[in-house]
Amino acid sequence: MKKLTFILLSLMLLAFGSVQAQDAVTLTYMASQGWVPDAEIELGAQFEAETGIHVDYQIVPADQYFTVLQTRLNTGEATDIFGGQSGVSDLIINYNVEANAVDLSDQAWVDLIDPLVLAQASVNGTAYGLTLWDVMGTTWVVNYNKTIFEENNLTVPTTYEALKATCETLLGVGIIPIFEPVASGWHHVLWFPELGPRYEEVTPGLAAALNANEATFADDPTMLSVVEQLNELYTMGCFGDNALADTTEFTTEALGTGQYAMGLTNLTGPQTIVADYPDVSAESFGFFVMPLADNQNLNINPAGPTKFIYSGSEHIDEAKLYFEFLTRPENLQYLIDNNPAMRTLPFAGLTFNLMPNQQEFLDSFAPEQRGTVYQTAVNYVNPQWMDIGQDLTAMFTGALEPHEVLVSIDERRAEMAQAAQDPGWSE
Amino acid sequence: MKNRVYPFYFTLGAIILYAAFVVLPGFMGIAYSFTDWNSYTSEVNFVGLDNFRTILSTGENYLSYIQNTLFFTVWTITLKTIIALFLAVLLNYGVRRLSHLYRVVIYLPVVLPTIAVGLVFRSILNPRSGILNEFLRSVGLGALAQSWLVNPDIAMLSIVGVDTWKGVGYIMVILLAGLQTIPQEYYEAAEIDGASSTARFRHITLPLLVPAITVVTVLNLLYGLRVFDIVYVLTGGGPGYATDVVFTAVFDEFSKGRYGLGTALSTVLFVVMTVVGFFIVRRLTRDPIEA
Repeated sequence: MKKLTFILLSLMLLAFGSVQAQDAVTLTYMASQGWVPDAEIELGAQFEAETGIHVDYQIVPADQYFTVLQTRLNTGEATDIFGGQSGVSDLIINYNVEANAVDLSDQAWVDLIDPLVLAQASVNGTAYGLTLWDVMGTTWVVNYNKTIFEENNLTVPTTYEALKATCETLLGVGIIPIFEPVASGWHHVLWFPELGPRYEEVTPGLAAALNANEATFADDPTMLSVVEQLNELYTMGCFGDNALADTTEFTTEALGTGQYAMGLTNLTGPQTIVADYPDVSAESFGFFVMPLADNQNLNINPAGPTKFIYSGSEHIDEAKLYFEFLTRPENLQYLIDNNPAMRTLPFAGLTFNLMPNQQEFLDSFAPEQRGTVYQTAVNYVNPQWMDIGQDLTAMFTGALEPHEVLVSIDERRAEMAQAAQDPGWSE
Repeated sequence: MKNRVYPFYFTLGAIILYAAFVVLPGFMGIAYSFTDWNSYTSEVNFVGLDNFRTILSTGENYLSYIQNTLFFTVWTITLKTIIALFLAVLLNYGVRRLSHLYRVVIYLPVVLPTIAVGLVFRSILNPRSGILNEFLRSVGLGALAQSWLVNPDIAMLSIVGVDTWKGVGYIMVILLAGLQTIPQEYYEAAEIDGASSTARFRHITLPLLVPAITVVTVLNLLYGLRVFDIVYVLTGGGPGYATDVVFTAVFDEFSKGRYGLGTALSTVLFVVMTVVGFFIVRRLTRDPIEA
């Protein structure tokens, strides 16, 4: 009898144990550094408390992320949820979402997200990704230290020559003009494709011509001048001696301590700086658009870091549940209220958290002065972002000429377009 | 073969496993290097020598990756062998007290994970805040402070330096074992004949250490040619492409889904390793007979 009781108890324990094991699902989520704010991890804990599903956030250094992700996708070993940059050509070329990601078109939150943003996370009308990114607040602008500018009688530069003169003045008084973290591999690339609105202004219809393979980067004089000017800024010491070793994690310190006078950051950069340096006033920073090639247009990018559910995942339903949880209005608002870098989200019905001067800055651009950045407007640019970064770094070190950087971009675009059987590139 | 202890079929298990998991994939890799195998299409087409033509063309960076790999290999072999030999001789003949402790300390970096070593050295070698430059500045040698990992002229040498620091203990242990096999009587006899310490080192230690040196050279050579992790974690192949080696390029090609080109690069390295390895191993197996 004792033996029978023991066996029965063991069976019960086993059964109970297996139920427990089934409940204890862990969702793995791989993302690049800076893509998962603390507020989301806090929401992840709430999600676990509510559903019993644990989310394991695997954060990979930015300079290695795309290589690691692509390797894992290509070998069929991706995490349940993976982060990736949205943008139609990225979705096709970098992530092959039609094979690697789950169709999310039937999810309730799809109807609530900004259609422009959703379009960049969709392929052929099928939604694949959830973009929880501050699209407006993350507009890349040059943040400058107003005090340093005032002390040196500097005004906001509106042309490249004016920016160069500003740098020379600052170098003359021993202040490093611009913080540019080249070692992160992606940040210094921003100076080039983010100027899409300017390229379009100088050559109307350029993006369409590039997408139809009727124009090339190498033949565009505006693009060449931007790359040359960027190279000149580097060689004249405008980015300091340490630019090639600097990474983005140092940004708040560089700008918050006043070691650098300017930095290319999100519009909401000052809030991030103040979060680390509470003594610094967010109002002590001003903004201007990147004036390379004399640009005076606002660069807008409806794409950004996006979450995808891996098609090979064993926990697709749980991952959908996590997306549903994150997109509840109270949780979206929580993300805005508890994250200095996320001041808006592309969802209706939320209260945004921009400072008055940031809103004024955005409002100062008439509709015709706003345009889409080229990594989104032009196909096959964003998927080669890190390659462009490597080429630009090689240019800084003298191993490549500015013109060669553009030729390489064209070559990679052709390669990707042919692989994607793009009709524009068919022979 | 007559006096063999076990019948041939005892080895079959090992041979089958080795063939299935090492030899066959190796040959398949070589076969794929003649194709355009990639992640964008399920079709695999024979492209002849196209991939090799790409690798060897001057318009691409691949030749510089091969050059960097050879640079790394030659320098690490030289530095590790010389420093390890010096340390081994010192610990075998020079240092009497706490010599075991020193052996452990010198060997310690070998057991550290490369990723950890890389991350630590990235911080140590940071031009602005790294302790190496801080130290140089604090002792008035600020002029020697360098952009160790981001100056394309010295980045590869910095990687060689870190790798030597990490690997020298391993080589030292092998050479130390070699030194301990040299009979003491030879040195006593030489001393009686009036040989100086330099002459004893040159005419006794070095010749009798040749088998051990050959072993470490082969090990260093194979390690150097297929180096990946230390480069990847220290510089990621940068700045630009200045420190890219063959296997960082292979990794890059695979991550971009260009498997054909990636396997072609591996094949080139396989051929180099086989040819160089063949000659060194032949020498290694000939020496004991001659001795």
